Amino acid sequence: MDRADFKPDSIKTMADLIKIPVIPTLYFKHHELASCPKKKMILRVTSSGTSGQNQSKIGFDLYTILRAWEMTKHMLHYHRLWSLKPTHFVVFGYQPHKGNNKAIAKSAWGFTFTAPALSKDYAIRWVDGEYQVDLQNIEKKLIHYAKGHHQVRSLGFPAYTFFLLKKMKEDGVHVTLPKGSKMTLGGGWKQFYAEACSKQEFYDLAHEVLGFQENDIVEFFGAVEHPILWTTCSKHHFHLPVYARVIIRDPDTFEEVPHGQMGLINLLTPISRAAPLTSIVTDDLGILHDEDCGCGIHSPYLEIVGRVGLEDIKTCAAGAEDLLKGKKA
Amino acid sequence: MILFQGKIYPESEQERLIASLKDAIPSILALPPLQPEMIYRASERLYQRLLQGEFDALAAPLLALAHLSHDTFLAYAKEFSGAWLKKKVEQELGKDPFARKRVAPGHAVERLPLGVLLHIAAGNVDFLPAYSVLEGLLTGNINLLKLPSGDKGLSVKLLQELIKEEPSLAPYIAVFDVPSTDIDSLKELAHYADAVVVWGGDAAVEGVRKFAEPNQKIIVWGHKLSFAYANSKTSDLDLAALAEDICLSNQMLCSSCQGIFYGGDDPKDLSAFAERFLAILERVNAERGPASLGMRSKSALAVLNERMEGKGEIHQGKGVSAIVYPDSELVLSFLFRNVWIKPLPEEKIVEILKPYRGYLQSCALLVDKETRVKVLPLLLKAGLTRIAGPHLSLSLPLEAHDGEYALLRYSRLVDIEE
Repeated sequence: MDRADFKPDSIKTMADLIKIPVIPTLYFKHHELASCPKKKMILRVTSSGTSGQNQSKIGFDLYTILRAWEMTKHMLHYHRLWSLKPTHFVVFGYQPHKGNNKAIAKSAWGFTFTAPALSKDYAIRWVDGEYQVDLQNIEKKLIHYAKGHHQVRSLGFPAYTFFLLKKMKEDGVHVTLPKGSKMTLGGGWKQFYAEACSKQEFYDLAHEVLGFQENDIVEFFGAVEHPILWTTCSKHHFHLPVYARVIIRDPDTFEEVPHGQMGLINLLTPISRAAPLTSIVTDDLGILHDEDCGCGIHSPYLEIVGRVGLEDIKTCAAGAEDLLKGKKA
Repeated sequence: MILFQGKIYPESEQERLIASLKDAIPSILALPPLQPEMIYRASERLYQRLLQGEFDALAAPLLALAHLSHDTFLAYAKEFSGAWLKKKVEQELGKDPFARKRVAPGHAVERLPLGVLLHIAAGNVDFLPAYSVLEGLLTGNINLLKLPSGDKGLSVKLLQELIKEEPSLAPYIAVFDVPSTDIDSLKELAHYADAVVVWGGDAAVEGVRKFAEPNQKIIVWGHKLSFAYANSKTSDLDLAALAEDICLSNQMLCSSCQGIFYGGDDPKDLSAFAERFLAILERVNAERGPASLGMRSKSALAVLNERMEGKGEIHQGKGVSAIVYPDSELVLSFLFRNVWIKPLPEEKIVEILKPYRGYLQSCALLVDKETRVKVLPLLLKAGLTRIAGPHLSLSLPLEAHDGEYALLRYSRLVDIEE
């Protein structure tokens, strides 16, 4: 802070937020940063970096957890995702296991409490001491639930979900899940970047195979370094929630670029008292849009365009298939 | 996409086609040997079609992605021309390379193909997988190619067109899209091969060692790191040309400049040199036009992180940087027009560089004549295989590859008592 010559007193209005020094998520991957004593951190989570060495480790104290809970409660309430109806939960992701500290696994598990759960099924199951992908089981369960009356809620990586949908289509599955069912997606589009058309392809496929309407599909976004539950509106846009702000920055100058232009995504939130997560810059590129999308929310919305580096945009199918082939071996 | 016996097959056929190699290979080996002239002619016809712009539409997006110009494309393509290939064969294997030659009374030597090559191609240069197969063909081998992940279809297209020009090449080319994680299929492919040719980094090579048979020949074209060597007498002209090369290649090739070793170890000299080079790099970068937003963002984050780590003395300009470090380690830069600058006094060249023997390749030697006479032999003793001018990334005509001729490695000598 001293090196950046930053004075907390200089932050007086929203326009001053740009003065807060940013920490790249890259830095969190090599340093466990904390703003309170370690013994107060009652929850520690890691990002879903695949290699193990490149994971951010972030701690949360009780105060921050309670605030995050309030935030989650309000976000889910605002987007009408709480339900009192008995629900079958289907998670296209990891089954919880005490050795898995990944934030994504924890949030997926948390999601299964948004309605009274009749059942919880996981696509990546903990079997005999290791994780195994079992899409067959999920497919069977979904077909079974379609015959019943209870709503179904799925949650998962878009890539896994897409792959499963494609496989079900190949298997000739055309069912309609009971009324009130929702498909939720989280954990980043990774292989789906920058292809607006592919999202449409995704929605069409979800409709064809499981009878989902576009409105039934909700997307989440967040990160261990930015623990805010961003939720899409009815038009699939991530509007700025009251809990966060975004500054899109020019990579050459780190100055803010005008809305509508692409740049580095700087996410800001005061939520954490346990770690310096106030102003982080991710390794994604994004655009902040001002135009009204017609969903009723008037704040600008964030479009995540892609990862920094070489533009290597693959089609949905190739990406998802690579992911799954990797899992199989 | 699979290319097998000149035909395109869907991925679902992969397992069956790989299994069919067991019977196919012996029958292909029984055919009369491949004649290099046949390949020169086919390749030349393909090259002519390329000059007429037939492949521009296919190449344009790839070139745009790598930020390469159409001229660079034509320069690369020239290496596919018939005349060039003929020269290459003569340079690497000598005149009339496959004739039986008597070396002593009753003793003849003959050069033959290894037999079957499995090429594990890397994805960083789009032309490379097809070129690797072409080198295999020039030495008369049957070529099995595993495409790199993210291959955009150029390799299959080029090889398919080559087969159209010369249908008798069809049995000698098989392209599979096996993912690197499908160890069983790779093991089976390796089982049929006399040698595995692997392009890529340490991870790729280690991967191959896992599925290759214990005594199998593995030909490694590994990732290399290249650099420039300069001192206080290096001219602005040379530094500007080096900056051009850095902007043109974005430092993504084995032969492109990652950083500059400076002949001296006074921190003040290094800082002054960094300032001088930064100004030139910034100017050239502005003239050339910036790297893509994605590239600039990636390196900006890396430089920001370095600043937070308190590492190096960072000299940063718009979209470029030169970072001075006190050590002399040879490392990858942050790429995309960001270089490191490190001390390397002449007398330490061999001692410092020798341990990097597996990674050394090119040096842009940008010093005055007197220093050059002293430094050049030291760089060679340290293990470098290529000394160039400031345009480090551009290949020299008919140059060897990492100090070796590929065609020698893809063929074998047999002694015959007559």
